[in-house]
Amino acid sequence: MKKISRYMRLYRIFAVQYMKTVMQSKVDFFIGLGGFLISQAAGLAFLYLVFQQIPTMKEWTLEQLLFIYGFAQIPRGIDHLLTDNLWMVGWQMVIQGTFDKYMLRPMNLFFQIVCEKIQFDAVGELLIGILFVGRAVAKGVVQVTPLKVLFFFISMIAGSVIYTSVKLVLASIAFWVKDSSPIMTTAYDVADFAKYPVEIYAKPIQIVLMTILPFAFVAYIPSTYFLIDANILKTIAAECGIAVIFWLFSYHLFKKGLTIYESAGS
Amino acid sequence: MTKFFQVYWTFAANQIKSNFVYKGRFYLFIIRKFLGMFIYYYLWMAIYASSPSGQLGGFTRSEMILYVFLSYTIADIVMIGISSEIGKDVLDGSVAMNLVKPINYRLYLTSKALGVMIYRIIVPSVFIWAGLEIYKVTALGMAVSSPSQIGLALISILLSFFIYVFFDYCFGMLAFVTTYIFGMTIIKNAALNLLTGRLIPISFFPAVVQEIFSFLPFTAMTYVPVMIWMGKYSGTEALLQLGKQAIWVVLLYLLGSLLWKKIEKRLVILGG
Amino acid sequence: MSENVIELSNVRKEFVTTKHDPGWRGAVKGLFTREKVTKVAVDDVSLAIQKGEIVGYIGSNGAGKSTTIKMMSGILTPTSGTCMVNGLEPYRNRKKNAKNIGVVFGQRTQLWWDLPLSETYTVLKEIYDVSDEDYKERMNFFEDVLGLQEFIHSTVRTLSLGQRMRADLAAALLHNPKVLFLDEPTIGLDVVVKDKIRQAIREINGKYDTTVLLTTHDLNDIEQLCRRIIIIDAGKKIYDSTLNQLKKDHGYRCSILFEWKELPDSEKLERLRNLSEKAVFEGQERGGKVTFNKNELSVAEVIAGVMRILEVKDIQIKETELTDIVKNIYQNRAEA
Repeated sequence: MKKISRYMRLYRIFAVQYMKTVMQSKVDFFIGLGGFLISQAAGLAFLYLVFQQIPTMKEWTLEQLLFIYGFAQIPRGIDHLLTDNLWMVGWQMVIQGTFDKYMLRPMNLFFQIVCEKIQFDAVGELLIGILFVGRAVAKGVVQVTPLKVLFFFISMIAGSVIYTSVKLVLASIAFWVKDSSPIMTTAYDVADFAKYPVEIYAKPIQIVLMTILPFAFVAYIPSTYFLIDANILKTIAAECGIAVIFWLFSYHLFKKGLTIYESAGS
Repeated sequence: MTKFFQVYWTFAANQIKSNFVYKGRFYLFIIRKFLGMFIYYYLWMAIYASSPSGQLGGFTRSEMILYVFLSYTIADIVMIGISSEIGKDVLDGSVAMNLVKPINYRLYLTSKALGVMIYRIIVPSVFIWAGLEIYKVTALGMAVSSPSQIGLALISILLSFFIYVFFDYCFGMLAFVTTYIFGMTIIKNAALNLLTGRLIPISFFPAVVQEIFSFLPFTAMTYVPVMIWMGKYSGTEALLQLGKQAIWVVLLYLLGSLLWKKIEKRLVILGG
Repeated sequence: MSENVIELSNVRKEFVTTKHDPGWRGAVKGLFTREKVTKVAVDDVSLAIQKGEIVGYIGSNGAGKSTTIKMMSGILTPTSGTCMVNGLEPYRNRKKNAKNIGVVFGQRTQLWWDLPLSETYTVLKEIYDVSDEDYKERMNFFEDVLGLQEFIHSTVRTLSLGQRMRADLAAALLHNPKVLFLDEPTIGLDVVVKDKIRQAIREINGKYDTTVLLTTHDLNDIEQLCRRIIIIDAGKKIYDSTLNQLKKDHGYRCSILFEWKELPDSEKLERLRNLSEKAVFEGQERGGKVTFNKNELSVAEVIAGVMRILEVKDIQIKETELTDIVKNIYQNRAEA
């Protein structure tokens, strides 16, 4: 308990320090925010343009797809906001040896990495996500019940954990291969599949999305159950189960990677 | 003159070689290409399956398959960024060093980009193109693209390459204004995905928007070579588009020179 | 009876790298096969350091100095052998060990780059759970010996190298570690700042009895700080003894510089040249230099001999410098 409160205090201190840094370059903040908003806008423009031509896609209406799209953005945005610094581990820290500095401090390593940066670019994703989920509720595309609200929040948390775990696995690979950013970008490309209904893809892709890189569980699968009101409990339970398994696996791999960390130079 | 080519070819050649150096990166690179293409392939197949007419935005289902793969591979070999390198050079101050070196900075960057383009043509675009032509004949029952079609498309691709590189050079000049070139790049890529027709063919846009696009250089970056390859432009129309591309090459080149001159002046006065 | 703070026994560290062939063929070949090369960075090193010692750890570039320090600070895990710091294996008890040690890497900083220096200390205070009194007391002490107050409110990015190094030293010491590792603490600094850093290290060692292990290329650091020196070459420990012993073992050459009262004539010069078979005389503008082996002649004998021949205005005795000794040790090893 004392440990938790210590880490919470530390997180606050690191976050404040990071904010001070960000405040020195407000332009960058708006550029980052704008970048992710425009990326989202491009994806949405695609859907709108396509639905000018067709009434539904595989029985999904535009409104329903927008809900899935928005739903997918929230856990991705949470993960992006809080743990973006993991990218730096995979991309630069291991190969350049700057990871050393974490090893010298008497704090949990994963915590140190994560608390060093809050990626405000993610606000773009979160905004779009909340906007489209809200819109779906307002338009009556999904019915709201107290239980569903609860499940929604659980699903968001579990989804973020899945995202973070996958990212941690990929970043940890850098301990073996030095620079794992190409693998990370590839995996993130795969995450793009999950913005659309998984059933449109060939079987092998569907299997990948439900097992090795379980992005389907972050977005499409839970969101559809909110749409059609079936098997919610089972789906959410599965999502949480996957989140726990992936987290344990990724953290174990991270720990293992630390023992073979080579620093840089000699 | 041969000396000149030799110097700049070295930059290109080194770029090709260094792309081969890392085995893992090489294979992942190929996987990534295919992933991106297949997302859109499946998406379009689902869209066509739901379409009552079988023709969307002037494209049949078969044509859309060609479009997805052609636009993806062509965008991949044409859109080779040099702005991130400019950003890096500005941040660590080595851009000032380039004023001292006896090489032309833009030409140096272009040569390196050319190296990347050659690499990407070999890995794996040319194989996808070959496969696509075979698929076209055997599975889709269409005629193979004529040599003149492919020839014109290749010229168009080369022009697109210069349009993009010179555009990105201008874009890279932003690095002198903001240090967050990464964020700017995300904006740029998102916008280009839409504006170049990589995400969705230009013909899906409302007529007004298409009209506006025709005055911008973006459709000349991938949409034009793809249309030429697919035989969507008649002979004279194709030549006209090539001419337009050539004009964009010149205009963007001049714009880059102008921007650079302004910045160079500032560099000399203020120091690196 | 003092205890060993650091104890390494038969420590070995290997790195595995892949080899890339040059040229086009190499580039394509690399796609299918990879050749692995094992490099031994630290080879069977054993050493023990006691509480309160200041030990100089020297060796040429790539000799394995930094690798050893990284193992002692918990960054690297040894391939074999054991390494104990304060009775802990650093790589097994990283967090606990981190509280006991302070590390400064001369080429890198652990300060918060974009913020005023004072912010770094506020954060470190929390990270290491330093109490308010201790924090105040130590900050005052650092301000005295390191002169932090001049730049404590400047952004770290804008600090000069010397200021940054002083700041980094304070950062490594804020939690009063039992052991301090300094990797090239004076690299790239001017003489005045170097002196300040050395002075600070001495005072900290004196006040808190901190054990210090430092690597350096500047042998003046060693001469002014360390009583003991360890030399490593190609991953192997090749020398470990006190500085005095080192000088006794290797520093037997000595030269004495004389300044004459009046210039000697050729006859006197001839007598100086024949002063002794065991000494070499070189004439200089207004004086001369006699070089000899201390085991064969004593300083007093030489001076007396010279003064019998002519009057002397000034005498300067030059012992062999540490640089020469270390150079000698390297060379002997390279030849062997």
